Amino acid sequence: MRTKSYNILFSIGFLSAAIIAFQLVLMQILSIVQWYHFAYMVISVALLGFGAAGSVLAIFQKWMVKHVDALVPGLMIFSGIAMSLVTGITQLPAIRFDSYLLFSDYDQIGRLLITYLLFFIPFFTAALAIGLVFIHNPARIGTVYFANLLGSGAGGLLALMLIQLFFPSKLPAILSLLPVLSAILLLPGRNRFFYMGAAMIAVAVITWRMVQPSPLVLSQYKDLSKTLLLPEAQIKWERTSPFGLIQIVTSPVLRYAPGLSLTAQKTAHVKMAAFINGDWFGAITGLDEPGTSHVLDHTTLALPFIMSERKRVLVLRSGTGIEVGYAVNRGASRVVAVEPNEVIMSAMKNELAAETDSLYHHAGVSVYHREPRSFLMTDTSKYDLIMLPMIGAFGGGAGLSALQEQFMLTREAVAEMWSKLESGGVITVTSWMDHPFRNPLKILATFVEVLEDAGIKNPRNQIAAIRSWGTITYVLTKSPLPREQIQKIRLFCDGMLFDPAFLPGLNAEERNRYNQFDHKQFFSYTDRIFSPSRESLYGDYAFNIRPSTDNKPYFSQYIKWRELSQLAGLVGNRSLPFYELGYLVVIMTFIQLSLASLVLIVLPLLSIGWKGRNNTSILLYFTGTAIGYMFIELVFIQRLILYFGNPVYSASAVITCLLIFSGLGSRSSSYFLQDKKRLWVVTGSIVLILCGYSFVFTPVLQQTIHYGLPGKMLIVLLLITPLAFLMGIPFPAGLSYFSAKNDRDTPWAWGLNGCASVISTALATMVAVEMGFAWVMLMAALAYCLPLFVQLRWS
Amino acid sequence: MIDRVITMGLKAADSQMGNERHLILQYLAKILNFNKVFKNLNCLRIMYSSLTILLLSIIYFTPQEDIYTQRRQNMVKEQIASRGIMDAAVLKAMRSVKRHLFVPGERVANAYDDRPLPIGFGQTISQPYIVAYMTAVINPKPDFKVLEIGTGSGYQAAVLAEIVREVYTIEIVPQLAGSAAENYKKAGLTKIRSRAGDGYFGWKEYGPYDAIMVTAAAEYVPPPLIEQLKEGGKMVIPVGSPFLTQTLMLVEKKKGRPVTKSLLPVAFVPFTRSK
Repeated sequence: MRTKSYNILFSIGFLSAAIIAFQLVLMQILSIVQWYHFAYMVISVALLGFGAAGSVLAIFQKWMVKHVDALVPGLMIFSGIAMSLVTGITQLPAIRFDSYLLFSDYDQIGRLLITYLLFFIPFFTAALAIGLVFIHNPARIGTVYFANLLGSGAGGLLALMLIQLFFPSKLPAILSLLPVLSAILLLPGRNRFFYMGAAMIAVAVITWRMVQPSPLVLSQYKDLSKTLLLPEAQIKWERTSPFGLIQIVTSPVLRYAPGLSLTAQKTAHVKMAAFINGDWFGAITGLDEPGTSHVLDHTTLALPFIMSERKRVLVLRSGTGIEVGYAVNRGASRVVAVEPNEVIMSAMKNELAAETDSLYHHAGVSVYHREPRSFLMTDTSKYDLIMLPMIGAFGGGAGLSALQEQFMLTREAVAEMWSKLESGGVITVTSWMDHPFRNPLKILATFVEVLEDAGIKNPRNQIAAIRSWGTITYVLTKSPLPREQIQKIRLFCDGMLFDPAFLPGLNAEERNRYNQFDHKQFFSYTDRIFSPSRESLYGDYAFNIRPSTDNKPYFSQYIKWRELSQLAGLVGNRSLPFYELGYLVVIMTFIQLSLASLVLIVLPLLSIGWKGRNNTSILLYFTGTAIGYMFIELVFIQRLILYFGNPVYSASAVITCLLIFSGLGSRSSSYFLQDKKRLWVVTGSIVLILCGYSFVFTPVLQQTIHYGLPGKMLIVLLLITPLAFLMGIPFPAGLSYFSAKNDRDTPWAWGLNGCASVISTALATMVAVEMGFAWVMLMAALAYCLPLFVQLRWS
Repeated sequence: MIDRVITMGLKAADSQMGNERHLILQYLAKILNFNKVFKNLNCLRIMYSSLTILLLSIIYFTPQEDIYTQRRQNMVKEQIASRGIMDAAVLKAMRSVKRHLFVPGERVANAYDDRPLPIGFGQTISQPYIVAYMTAVINPKPDFKVLEIGTGSGYQAAVLAEIVREVYTIEIVPQLAGSAAENYKKAGLTKIRSRAGDGYFGWKEYGPYDAIMVTAAAEYVPPPLIEQLKEGGKMVIPVGSPFLTQTLMLVEKKKGRPVTKSLLPVAFVPFTRSK
């Protein structure tokens, strides 16, 4: 390969950018057509492509290096064509899979495997091209690796930018131009016209896909698919954004009235409904005149308003503004709406203002585009009422949000809200009744623990809840409930045919009068939550109802592993996944990828044998660096969601910072390799910094959360960049060290690193759910002890 | 020669027996394997080949309906009666209604499985046990007039029609309403009156009803449906995700006031571990 050096660097940079951006775009597309859980699948398939490419390189190294001039541009062009076509192919009726049917229709498993295979192709061919360039340029490995990481970092930003400009169906084709451009930069001298022709054909195919992209076909079980089947349903407005694809649907039969009283005569008609990535986001309705009857007056959501007048109201995750409108209707003079999705808020204020009767221009309403926790940490106001969004889904849902970090529902979050209440103020939250009971019990447990932490001796006096046939609404009060409010609640329940679930002085018959349970288990559980035997209930109950914390913010994660077989016996193996599909998808991905990485990475490598003396060292060194790196990436992304108040920005900031500064680190790895002590210092520092971070990282973020965006960016840069720089060093340094000793070890190093990276993506999430973020960080530190241990033994 | 006979038989069976062919194929594959095992023992080979032809003939001339009837008997015995549903009329209806006519063609082989099946448009045909449970809950009598909101495949209405006098059903997705009407024709059901439309307002023209089944549950119970329920009437609504009915809501109108009750079709209480 006699190409100019900067051509190689640019080519690798473009290709790397394309791979990362394609990965992010695929995540977005799968979130739209299926659910966001398949993001794990995309990340893992990409990493698997890299691992498998390493194995192929190891086996066919000689032949491939001999034909490197032809292979690299050829593979790049092929990768580009594959990128532009695979998404469309996966949408063909004969191939398209539906995650909902995976457990009822085994034919879907074959479709899923074909989808895996199709997504694997562009990553595998691109990785093969990059690997070949690495092998062919051993003297410049640090620089090439730098270009690779820099390009990858830029790819993250590129995806973020393109997602705002183009609809997701067009993005794969747009991105696939980059690999072709990479190929053009490295066209060989021989057969130049042949390759030029191939590149032109690729451009023609890509242009065709850009002009005529394959439509994305949503799962028939997604909320949007079902809504579009309603009479005269049509998409009135849509916009692509980093928050997802936002679509507004109209239909004359759209209605919204969660758990409407059976005595209600008010129609539940709404003008429109909003969907993000095909999932329900909220109903859009006009602003009823203050004092007139509102549809929510006939639901349990009215509870805080019938108790007392609420002048200052905070609505967290206000969404489409139904609760904001309701607070205005009930006479609130100041309503603060906090909603991180600024795109939909902007639409509500502008394009859709007429549909909401200019709700967000109302004099008493102010809007903040922040993550609610982030807002709470900086806001100093006091409120009469803090409203949380509805929890769960009608019918219990399918546990899709099990892995969603819900920082707004942790014990710390509720304690913070409670401290912002005026005397007589309340926090309110409504949940769908599910069966087996999960959400209602966890909410109650959280409220009780918050009150006990605040030194309240009898939490029963400060918690009230009412139940309709389908919903339960709680209020947590700042001060003990006055008698007249208890009386008002009783009267309201009688009129609406609701049952008070908890009220000071409530007798057992009163709570099961209009909406009866077939059994009384619910109340025996809630009684235990109020009692000192709460801990034993947490242990005995088949689901995890212990309150979530900032360290384990998975409010909707309920499955307990030790109870799985019992549960499967009761409801059947095919039904079981619908209790918590989200978590099970990650477990399945973990198992599948462990097997796939074994087959695609380890077995091919075994075929070439491994007789070196450094086997154990290589195994420890490269699995340690891979696990450590991936675990840290996950923790940083999760932790910064709260800090930036936005998951998209958090992920972009972390990925870009880590990749770019690790790239710089890798570029200087040869300097550190000159003296082993320098390397010990580097890896030892990573371990020490991580141990230190597990104690100080969160407090530093908490102390600086009130800073503006530039200040926050500076803090994040200061926290991440030194670590990212250091983390970029061990991998190339180890690679150089071991390949100098025995070049037959290099493919194994690549393979093991790829294998461990693949498994770590799902494993990190599982550790976070089961043990919390602090443990993920400590385990990352432990993982980096492995390369440190190996380095200390180097002569 | 024998293989050719089997191939011909297979073709005949394929054309005659439609969706049952996979069973015959499975069986013949086993027989052919035996033939290969005994390829050097002519006597045994002839014996197995004769047995093949004999069995093929039996299968070929066995009416398809007999196979389905047997499956329905098994379904009622193993999935419904064994779980405690003893209402004779419901069991009889479940034995009579040809469930395989109400599932999409590609899923006929699974029609009598103990699970819900997808029917397209994000809908499912409920698990046989849930259909039986819901029917038993309203305690249907021969003189009943029942309204169903959410026709789906039409199977629930067909089961009701075996027991009660009149069944009215409304489906909001026109394609589903159309295919359900076809299914009724195929099954020879005439007591069912169906239409495509918004079920929110019920079907006032024929009300009030002794029972209402809302098989496509919504986040609210439409007030007009409560109005169209007779005094003492029952309304039943399954609650859960498409493939998992977790609970049933029963609404009873007593002295003009509706009272709800949450029923558990799947016997999974208590949910605390026994120590």
